[in-house]
Amino acid sequence: MDCSWCHNPETLPHRPVLMFYENKCIGCGKCFEVCPEGAHRIVDGNHVVDRTLCTSCGTCTESCFAGALVMSSRKYTVEEVMNEIRQDKLYYDLSEGGVTFSGGEATLHMAFVEALADACHEEGIKVAIETNMAIPFYHIESMLKKMDLIMCDLKHVNTSIHKQFTGLENQMIFNNVGRASLLGIPMIVRTPLIPGATDSIENLHAIAEFVSKLKNILYYELLNFNPLGGSKRIAIDAEDSFEACRPFSDKQLEEIKAKLEDTGVSIKVS
Amino acid sequence: MSKIHYINEFDEDRTFTFDERIALLRKRKIVQTEEKAKQGGADEDDYGLIVQDEFVYQLKPNHPNGSIYGYRAWTENYCSILAEHPIYVDALDAFSAKGFFFLERLRPKTKKWNPDYPYDDLQKIFDRYQIISGIDNCHHFTPDIQIGLDLGWGGILRKLKEQRALHDETHHEFYDSEIAVVEHIIAFIRRAGDEIEALACQEKNRQLAENLHTMAAINHRLATEPPKTFREAIQWNNWFSMLSRTYNRGSSGGQIEDLFNPFYERDVASGILTDEEAIFYLACMFLQDSRYWQLSGPDEHDNDKTCHLSYLALDAADKINIATNLTIRVHDKLDPAFFEKSVEYLFKNKQGWPRYSSDKALMEGFMRCGYSKELARKRVAAGCHWMCIPGMEYTMNDTVKVNLAMVFQVAFQDMMANADQTRPSIDALWEQYRKHLKMAVDATGRGIIHHLTHQTKSQPELILNLFQHGLIEKGVNITDGGANYYNMCIDGAGLAVAADSFAACQQRIDKEGRLTYEELTNHLDANFEGENGEYVRQMLFHSERYGGGGDSLGDKWAVKISKLWTGLVRDLVEQHKDNPKNVNFIPGFFSWSNTILLGSILKATPNGRKAGEPINHGANPNGGFRKDGAVTSMCNSIAAIQPGYGNTAPVQLEIDPQIANDPEGVKKMCAMILGIMNSGNTLLNINIIDAKKILEAHKDPFKYPDLVVRVTGFTAFFSMLSEKFRELVIERVKAVNADLEY
Repeated sequence: MDCSWCHNPETLPHRPVLMFYENKCIGCGKCFEVCPEGAHRIVDGNHVVDRTLCTSCGTCTESCFAGALVMSSRKYTVEEVMNEIRQDKLYYDLSEGGVTFSGGEATLHMAFVEALADACHEEGIKVAIETNMAIPFYHIESMLKKMDLIMCDLKHVNTSIHKQFTGLENQMIFNNVGRASLLGIPMIVRTPLIPGATDSIENLHAIAEFVSKLKNILYYELLNFNPLGGSKRIAIDAEDSFEACRPFSDKQLEEIKAKLEDTGVSIKVS
Repeated sequence: MSKIHYINEFDEDRTFTFDERIALLRKRKIVQTEEKAKQGGADEDDYGLIVQDEFVYQLKPNHPNGSIYGYRAWTENYCSILAEHPIYVDALDAFSAKGFFFLERLRPKTKKWNPDYPYDDLQKIFDRYQIISGIDNCHHFTPDIQIGLDLGWGGILRKLKEQRALHDETHHEFYDSEIAVVEHIIAFIRRAGDEIEALACQEKNRQLAENLHTMAAINHRLATEPPKTFREAIQWNNWFSMLSRTYNRGSSGGQIEDLFNPFYERDVASGILTDEEAIFYLACMFLQDSRYWQLSGPDEHDNDKTCHLSYLALDAADKINIATNLTIRVHDKLDPAFFEKSVEYLFKNKQGWPRYSSDKALMEGFMRCGYSKELARKRVAAGCHWMCIPGMEYTMNDTVKVNLAMVFQVAFQDMMANADQTRPSIDALWEQYRKHLKMAVDATGRGIIHHLTHQTKSQPELILNLFQHGLIEKGVNITDGGANYYNMCIDGAGLAVAADSFAACQQRIDKEGRLTYEELTNHLDANFEGENGEYVRQMLFHSERYGGGGDSLGDKWAVKISKLWTGLVRDLVEQHKDNPKNVNFIPGFFSWSNTILLGSILKATPNGRKAGEPINHGANPNGGFRKDGAVTSMCNSIAAIQPGYGNTAPVQLEIDPQIANDPEGVKKMCAMILGIMNSGNTLLNINIIDAKKILEAHKDPFKYPDLVVRVTGFTAFFSMLSEKFRELVIERVKAVNADLEY
């Protein structure tokens, strides 16, 4: 799935990608010196990364201490992540909280997620996942069963609109959400409020009605528009179609929520 | 400028509920605060001071340098002030007791210490390491207000006179001064009663006139008698607060339940007090002064002290909702409903109160000094970052600071000056640091002893002396042996700057070889301005920082420095074991509002900090300590550097209000606070800050005149802070709001 508003667009290529935050560049020129591909260039007086040459090898990031050049991701072993997680064990115990696998899309790293979930459970730490459910259910069923909480998105009830904004039709996703709700694991279904894409009352009402019929639902959550993805898109030289969009006000969120209450589902806005 | 009398503001028939009166008083407070801010503000507690121009006191010096020293001069000046000080009266308020200034600040700023007792040799060392010695600082320990509630001013006066008769003339200066002070206090409160009665006769509003008549009668009684009712107890407390502030700013609070619950329960049982009324009185107490109060904590049987009055105190703070300094003592048996309610108010009001202390860490630490559990339990949160046993200790809390970053600078310079003999390295740097920190700590210890030996000849504690157990019987000032225990607080400041500087040197020079010590020296001397300067600064700045949760180089250096610091401060106990006051020294980490001062003359440091920039706040890491600004990671790092002898190294948290905007969020926040407390931390200050709102308030401080933030240990109206101080708060918000655009 390739949501055009994705606020972690750097994860879409499914490999580490070089990100360039021009506002942090101090003009030291070290990246020009070390890049083996000559991908750093000056165009019209501006420092640009020539994406046709850049292999995202990461060499330049090692000399960019200002943080203008960073890799989108890095590889971890399960044990390395567990070392980070253990630091907060006390807080998990007291809050009955735990670790959430998120993304991008966590199911793209299925084996790792399953191994990490097992490791967490061995140490008494609960796990949750945020997923778009855009993967055949038989692929994710065993992984979902390891979760203590499932958070999943339903973006649009109209499959053509869904495909327009995400690149995928929606039938499998709705089916997966329905099947996941029968696993006996607490679930939260969410819809990101994207201006002009998902925010119509008709769409939200239809999703809320669908959710109201599911089992094991804690609540239906409306996620306010998050503009964070914009700067990241610029950093990977991708287009930001939602540059002009702003988060909804508290008042607008409450108004939307009020119009969905007749579905009977518990609704949360955040 | 504020008025001194607020009467006849309302129609004669208008009636007010208690809540309406609180709301009106709060509104007045905001206006008065704006007036104070326009007068220049202040980077410190609010103190409840009124800015007025009706009464200006001219100091009567007894020394050619224009200052005052010793019993007689302080007594004469204080008594003169009381003889002339106008009585602030607000017909809406339950109490009268507002001060206008502090006598101690009327002295010439540089002439506080009696020049007959010089310490020039020590001063050279203090200057070298930028030590704030605490010499000449007053109060910063906790009186036991219970003594006053039991005896009243009349009882205290009788006791002074009785004890004077039992002592020889070497003690008469002490007794004569204290007797004169108390006699003037009695006359002052009696005059307050007279003036309030006169105003009551002028007040047209019937309800408020009746309030003033009652207030006058209470004050006539309290001039000599101990309080009998809840309202009288708080009025007595407020007078104590105002009188102590007016003398030398000293006035920490105590345990609310211990002091006031007996009055509350008695009045409720007698049918003369309702909860609404009690909340109103407590709100007026918080309005009167921003003193530090503790709520909850274990009693003598380890059971929870939380009672109905604890809840009312929270409700009162919620209703008045200004710069209030309440600390909840978190312990195993803390009433969970009370705890949750306190967190609800923290997030609802976003005013930086309450804060939380850890009973376990503080108790265990203080007992490590050799004290009993009973005494450790009595040590209440009563100041910016500090604890004190009311009426038992002399502490100099929060007045003594050693700039650990300046010690680093001296050590680094010393190492480079001897580079021809010993090759610069991280080991050589540490050896220099050990040597210089020992010199700094030893000098600080000698400074404290010098203060204890001669402070009476500079400034005796004429008010707080009266509320120490056994002091009146001894007939000496508190610094002359009047206290039961001398637990001298010494705080390290700039820990993160020093730790990050060590880490940057080790990582970039010794480990990675990207730089030499000589090159680093050149960049530091040039303040990172020369060729490659910014590149090197960024490289250093992004080394492994303190605040990483325990595993980073910065964290390891912070722990190493903390252990050295703690050991050196504790060594002072042995060094001064022959001092007759049996002096104990307790290490902590806190900068108070000295972050700007202590950074101002510090040159560029190897952590990428530029010359003159502030040092880190308290025990917190430097800004940008971790890319994700993870709160738990920071708290784990701070837990790891706790000195562990009963004084604090506080956690200062800046949290987005969205984290706990519903009941589920509040429960999670409760769990997080418990986690922070259980992990070994001692004190937790929390700002719930809407980042965008505070950025707007920084641009225009008067846009949100009622915005209160927890600056360091104290809360303050944001508009009252200087621009530099507002920037410090902004920097901390930025450190944990990676997404915020500036």
